[in-house]
Amino acid sequence: MNSRFRMLLLCTLGLSASPAAHASLNILACEPEWKALAEELGGDRVQAESATHALQDPHHVEARPSLIIKARDADMVFCTGAELEVGWLPLLLEKSGNRRVQVGDPGHFMAASQVERIEVPQTVDRSQGDVHADGNPHVHLDPRRLLTIAEAFSARLQTLDAEHAEYYRQRLSAFSADWTEAMAGWKTRAESLSGKRAVVYHKNWSYLLDWLRIDTVGDLEPKPGIPPTSGHLAELLQITREQDADFVLIANYQNTRGARWLADHSNIAMLELPFTVGGNEEAEDLQSLYDSIITLLLSGG
Amino acid sequence: MYRRRMNAPGIGASVGLVLTMMAGSAQAENPELSFVLDGFFKSEDSALSERGKGFGLGHTEVSLSSAVDDLFNARLTTVLESHEGETELDIEEAFVDTVALPFGLGIRAGRFLSQVGYLNSRHTHADSFAERPALYRAFLGSHYFDDGVRLAGLMPVPFYWQLGVEAFNGTALAGGEGDPAIGVFTVKSSWGGDLSPASSWQAGVSYLRNRLDAVQEELDVDTDADEHNHSHDAAYSGENLYLLDLVWKWAPQGNVRESQLTLSGEYLYVDELGEFAQDGDVQKGWYASSVYRFHPQWSAGVRYGEVDLKAAHGDHFHDQSLKETDVMLGWSRSHFSQLRLQYSLQDAQGFDEANDTLSLQYVMTLGAHGAHEF
Repeated sequence: MNSRFRMLLLCTLGLSASPAAHASLNILACEPEWKALAEELGGDRVQAESATHALQDPHHVEARPSLIIKARDADMVFCTGAELEVGWLPLLLEKSGNRRVQVGDPGHFMAASQVERIEVPQTVDRSQGDVHADGNPHVHLDPRRLLTIAEAFSARLQTLDAEHAEYYRQRLSAFSADWTEAMAGWKTRAESLSGKRAVVYHKNWSYLLDWLRIDTVGDLEPKPGIPPTSGHLAELLQITREQDADFVLIANYQNTRGARWLADHSNIAMLELPFTVGGNEEAEDLQSLYDSIITLLLSGG
Repeated sequence: MYRRRMNAPGIGASVGLVLTMMAGSAQAENPELSFVLDGFFKSEDSALSERGKGFGLGHTEVSLSSAVDDLFNARLTTVLESHEGETELDIEEAFVDTVALPFGLGIRAGRFLSQVGYLNSRHTHADSFAERPALYRAFLGSHYFDDGVRLAGLMPVPFYWQLGVEAFNGTALAGGEGDPAIGVFTVKSSWGGDLSPASSWQAGVSYLRNRLDAVQEELDVDTDADEHNHSHDAAYSGENLYLLDLVWKWAPQGNVRESQLTLSGEYLYVDELGEFAQDGDVQKGWYASSVYRFHPQWSAGVRYGEVDLKAAHGDHFHDQSLKETDVMLGWSRSHFSQLRLQYSLQDAQGFDEANDTLSLQYVMTLGAHGAHEF
């Protein structure tokens, strides 16, 4: 290795190897909800960026060059985990060569690992479709779990950037207070939704529906990960009528065709909900995301 | 794209929570085991093809991979191939990766797929067409893997720039006499980025230096029922091999779940064909491919490629050329199954077996399945 090359490498190391050298923590979030949460809790001490946006299916992302560079430069990755990003995150981390964010490192934070997950299968067999062995990963749509995640994430920030731990503690307590108050408001607004029946597209909404006590009567996907087929839709129409379902719920990155057909034929509302921050115009941050979802649900019920 | 993990159903959520606080999942299978089954039917033999007419099995892979400890990862891929009742077992990958070198550098040692070109380092089961383009079949034995070592890393610049160097035995490439300790060197530089939220690109330049003596005899690689040469060795060689590759992918709003268009192409140039070569004796090839996944389960593609070859015949060369057009329709029930119908037209000079062929193929992946590269 010649000396000029060595100098170049050392300069880079100095710039990127230790978080302390940064003015702020560089956080790569896998999904927009975690970018939003990182910004709420990190304030101006963090620089957060999301690897995906609200109109992308987070299961299906490619470990493309631009993401590899973002992972290389990150002090921390903040992802869902529970196999949601299994198709791209491991490769991204491997290709990044970044020693701060690998599995087990303090800079590797998985939201779903911080909370109890629902729909954990007893056995995993691919004939059941694309089932996540670690349970349903879409935990961000339960505000109670989100608060637990916020607490754990703030604790991690306090460890990683101990010098500013007090700052993170203050932001967490402000966030917790606001969030707890907002949760009470949502609960009151959503009172009338309790007991409603929904047809869903993928098990995206399980945590939300669990929290709001809305029953799921059918899924547009015949098996997780397999798009709706005409035979399955015909069966679902039958179920929708028999069970007297109230609405069909889809995320705004999902194909509307099957849901539209079902809604039209059964005369119920098809609600295109924002799945995460940025999913529609109203969902600018975590609180407005929940506000928008509840408003839409009330409009369709 | 997804890997299966064994789940311990008895572990309650609270215990699971504690176990997984740091590591994400404490229940990963170790090592991970995966299988690939590949079977086909082909209506005719065709030029430069490893696949004969009739029913046959392609790559049947069994692969194990795991972290060794905190410094190393390792992978073993064995390939079973069946030709006229004989089954061959070959080791296609057996390598160790470092995971803790400074500066984001990585060393891979053992047997592995060379970094050259776009397709070479990818597993064939992830391909969009039944066979690799003609230039890969002629010069790289469809996919060039060998025993050696690689050093690669991202350059310390704010955009994607990866550089890698490799040294190999070279025995898997076509060559005659001569047996240097290190037969092949390669260098590859690749760049990539996003053009918009919906589209991304990657480009690469590769150079492969073959220090083995050039091919003196024409190797028979045409699939032939009587005299079948089913070695993976490449058939054509040259001292210097240059490859350019470019890929561009587009998906509406960047959501690759619903649909995706992939355009890719490579250009290859080979010179210094050996002691009997004249100055103007070079070999060239290129292909361009367009694959459109228009539904989560359906894709259609077309690929055109050409190669201009010099088949060595003792002290002189025979000119050969092959123009190939492939049209493909693929269907996947899930990420793990793929069925493919393909029609290939060959227009050849200097080949006996050039034919238009219809192929039907399935590729099934079982078990753990690592993510595919961009």
